[in-house]
Amino acid sequence: MEPQCKRRKATQDEPVSWEVLPVLSDEQSQDTQLLDAYAAPIINKRETSRLVKELATIYPLTGLQHIKRVRACKDSSTPHPLEIIVCLVSDLQESHGEVSISDLSSGKFDRNGLGELFLVKIPACPPLTRPQFELASKHWPTSFHEDKQVTVALKGQLFTADQKAKMQEYMLTAITAAKAGQAAGMDSVGAVIVDPQMDRVLAVGHDCRGGSHPLHHAVMVCIDLVARGQGGGAYEYQYPTCQFSAPSSSPGLSIRCPVGLEVKDEVDEAKQSGLPYICTGYEVYVTREPCVMCAMALVHSRISRVFYGSASADGALGTRYKIHTQKDLNHHFEVFKGVLQQECDDLNGIAF
Amino acid sequence: MDTESVGDPVVCQNFYQPSSEDIESWMQKAFDMAKEALEKGEVPVGCLMVYNNQILGKGRNEVNETKNATRHAEMVALDQVLNWCHKAQRDPGEVLRQTVLYVTVEPCIMCAGALRLMNIPLVVFGCKNERFGGCGSVLDIPGDELPNTGTAFKCISGFRAEEAVEMLKVFYKQENPNGKTSSALRKRET
Ligand SMILES: [Zn+2]
Ligand SMILES: [Zn+2]
Repeated sequence: MEPQCKRRKATQDEPVSWEVLPVLSDEQSQDTQLLDAYAAPIINKRETSRLVKELATIYPLTGLQHIKRVRACKDSSTPHPLEIIVCLVSDLQESHGEVSISDLSSGKFDRNGLGELFLVKIPACPPLTRPQFELASKHWPTSFHEDKQVTVALKGQLFTADQKAKMQEYMLTAITAAKAGQAAGMDSVGAVIVDPQMDRVLAVGHDCRGGSHPLHHAVMVCIDLVARGQGGGAYEYQYPTCQFSAPSSSPGLSIRCPVGLEVKDEVDEAKQSGLPYICTGYEVYVTREPCVMCAMALVHSRISRVFYGSASADGALGTRYKIHTQKDLNHHFEVFKGVLQQECDDLNGIAF
Repeated sequence: MDTESVGDPVVCQNFYQPSSEDIESWMQKAFDMAKEALEKGEVPVGCLMVYNNQILGKGRNEVNETKNATRHAEMVALDQVLNWCHKAQRDPGEVLRQTVLYVTVEPCIMCAGALRLMNIPLVVFGCKNERFGGCGSVLDIPGDELPNTGTAFKCISGFRAEEAVEMLKVFYKQENPNGKTSSALRKRET
């Protein structure tokens, strides 16, 4: 513990280095599932295209379009340069024990050019990420439609140094709000909603449960403050840190006003849209992973991205649920975690 | 989800479940509210919060007027219960633990989360909410293991479901006579 404290003290103003990582769906993050299959060497190369065609008819690999039927043999010592998937083990369910080439439905099929069967494992699902692709390829070659952004994001390299500096600034605002809330007797959770296009903070809020309302989690407070900035809103917050500013068309021009005041002309523009999806195009920075209520509130509000610092036990954006990847829902957003993680974890330490 | 048909009163965690007659008459009120809303051209959802045979909250969707997409009827009704507690100088925690939500449509994931956080013991609802439902349709918030998110609650579902669905259908047809998606945007998202 000692050296840790010293190190932290030495860099008091410099946050501990952090990495921002995407929170992907279960399908994108799970381990590669494998299926048992029979493969065989192609002894006569000239038979290859015929074998591929015939096997595709007799043993179509249904739902396994990602599997490349033929692979080049890596081992140069083998006399046969090509190997082919003959069928899935489940295709030959009726046969027991050692299966041989002669067990194949011989009547319809010319085995000429095919060597003896051997067992292989093949990936059951198409790989969705590069790590999944690399693991899958160790077993059998598959096709892979790479989402370059996901690949870069998984390496923690999606954002430039400038972008990370901005994120840090926003998250520091959320942390400051969390501390102010904590000083007022609330749970130390803070959030900010920003318009990334305009580089503007639209709402700053902290947990207000201890005071006004048991459901006033930091995210709910921020959503309502954004509504307020657009001439709506349902609540008054008596905490000075909870602030909003109206959206603006001019970047960087930040008119912060304490809750209760209105910024008339800028509100009108928002009114015209008439839609309650007030957070379209906006991002939220929150010190702790949102709960299920807050996560779904962000879906309803059409937020575009969520950044959080620490994970939380019942968290709904990665830990307990992944609301943002829930297929049935009509709006999805991106989620990243780890922004100023150490500082955010420290806030949780204050709370309990 | 702990779904059961309307039947004998069950005691759970010091909470006395209303009798089937009570449930029927409160749901009748909720359906009356929904019908009234439909006649006024509003989203036909009725939502009541009942404590000790007394209606403490009567919510309707306020998303459009507040520009806050979280102002679902259930959230509005919960606020009314809290206001009542404040005025009556009653402990909200104690009151909410004895308060039943009657609503014509299944609460969404957000509202289900809120109801858990507020320790509501029982929710009676009409039709399913296939798009956003948090009480069994998309997720099962009341029944899932969430030790840090309030208390699990019980649901009685399917109460006059066809009728509730029918009202929603009529509403969407009025809202959206040409099948344009633009007006569908104003749909209530329960
Ligand atoms: Zn929350
Ligand atoms: Zn709802």
